[in-house]
Amino acid sequence: MPSAPAQFLALTGEALGDAVRRRVAAALAILALLSLAAVDSCTACAAGTFTVNGIPVDGSRIFGWTGIALYALLALWTVAISGALASDHLQQSLDDGTAQLALARPVGRGVFALARLTGALAVSLGTGGVLLAGTALFLHARYGFGLGPAAAAAAGAALGAIVVSSLAMTASLFLPRLATLAAVFLAVALIAGVNGVALTGTDLSAGWSALDRFAPPLGTGVALAVAEWSGRALPASPPLVAARLALWALLGPALLCFCFRRREI
Amino acid sequence: MAALEWIAVSKRFRDRPALQGFSFALPEGASVGLLGPNGAGKTTALRLALGFCRPDAGVVRLRGAPPEDPAARLGVGYLPERLALPPRAGVRALLRLHARLAGLDGDRTREEIDAVLALTGLEARAGDRCGSLSKGLAQRVGFALALLGEPRVLILDEPTSGLDPLGVRDARDWIQAARRRGCSVLVSSHVLSEIERTCDHVVVLHAGQVAASGRLEALLGPGESLEDAFVRLVRPGAAA
Repeated sequence: MPSAPAQFLALTGEALGDAVRRRVAAALAILALLSLAAVDSCTACAAGTFTVNGIPVDGSRIFGWTGIALYALLALWTVAISGALASDHLQQSLDDGTAQLALARPVGRGVFALARLTGALAVSLGTGGVLLAGTALFLHARYGFGLGPAAAAAAGAALGAIVVSSLAMTASLFLPRLATLAAVFLAVALIAGVNGVALTGTDLSAGWSALDRFAPPLGTGVALAVAEWSGRALPASPPLVAARLALWALLGPALLCFCFRRREI
Repeated sequence: MAALEWIAVSKRFRDRPALQGFSFALPEGASVGLLGPNGAGKTTALRLALGFCRPDAGVVRLRGAPPEDPAARLGVGYLPERLALPPRAGVRALLRLHARLAGLDGDRTREEIDAVLALTGLEARAGDRCGSLSKGLAQRVGFALALLGEPRVLILDEPTSGLDPLGVRDARDWIQAARRRGCSVLVSSHVLSEIERTCDHVVVLHAGQVAASGRLEALLGPGESLEDAFVRLVRPGAAA
């Protein structure tokens, strides 16, 4: 019997190749480079002193906040894009029939689904990683922001990307492509928005509060990490949020495997 | 133990019954032709045999195990009716991937790939991308994939689709060579002449049920061709 890890590696290579060859992957890479150029431009005016109402203010105090918000947005953008790329990476192979050829071999459904997920994540996290690393270096060099919070936020975004991608892939087994894509962007925006509101200390209604507490903490995970740059403490426990994200990052792929094993092809 | 077995299998897709109480066993080393008009349930029977879908009732066994179990599909070669090759993958690279999925070990992989490339006449096209191949050549690649690693069970759905007369003759030779190795072969096809030449048993499916099954010569009436027998079985009114 062939070893499952060897099959997983072979299929992941194939899935990665498929993801790289897609036009959306090239678009993502170009978008990441353009975003980096924009970040370079946005953070270039950090040096110097501004006079506001006759009081001299250090430029980094004004533009530093922009940097924090920018980094958090780019992390969430990476999460959303990961979900979008994964949303048809499994379904497409089922539609074009290449999945059936592989699954006629002694390959488990779980191995196949996880390989497709890993292939899609490799591309989205690769481009997202370059974007976040470049931004972190700009913020570090120009505002003196520490790299630790940047790495923590990037790790939070990576876990969020695993969650969103696996759930998007699962949804794609039941929903049309456009509906899955819309669900990805809507869910990421909604959860991040609710997380953001909750972090300001605003009271939420029961439904929104449940979403904030039990849904994958996509926004909270990133915000808690970058908040260290501002020196402000946010009303959430970082270990608890990290544990919730990690739990979702296990549950998402497990749900994908469960549903794909039951899917008729 | 039968190579492949359907026991009282029923399968519906929404309100449409695809198979109704279908029972048949493919004996080890036999070559069986699966016949039937469009929509008779042939492709559903093959999908069930590979674990692509589950029966609503009944049991399917592939080499004695449920086909959903990956181990049951070890040593199975499959050529689908609608063959889809990844267009940007090279022929040899695709064979290498499938060799790894089939569990061929490192040393054997190259030998096996070279052997199926030579057998299917694709040596000169080994470096080509699958997307650049004609339909006939792509079908040869499909055969190469199915024959990779000397399978014990070969499941072929419309195997001669897109092949030129030379390719059809080659395909017949490949199937017969597999049979000589003791491979069990199941061929689903509308090309009755090919079934006559490659199979010794026939199952005729009609409306999801077995209309007839047995040795080829036993199914044919006096002076009757397979086509005549097929029409008689699936359209009884037309036989008169």
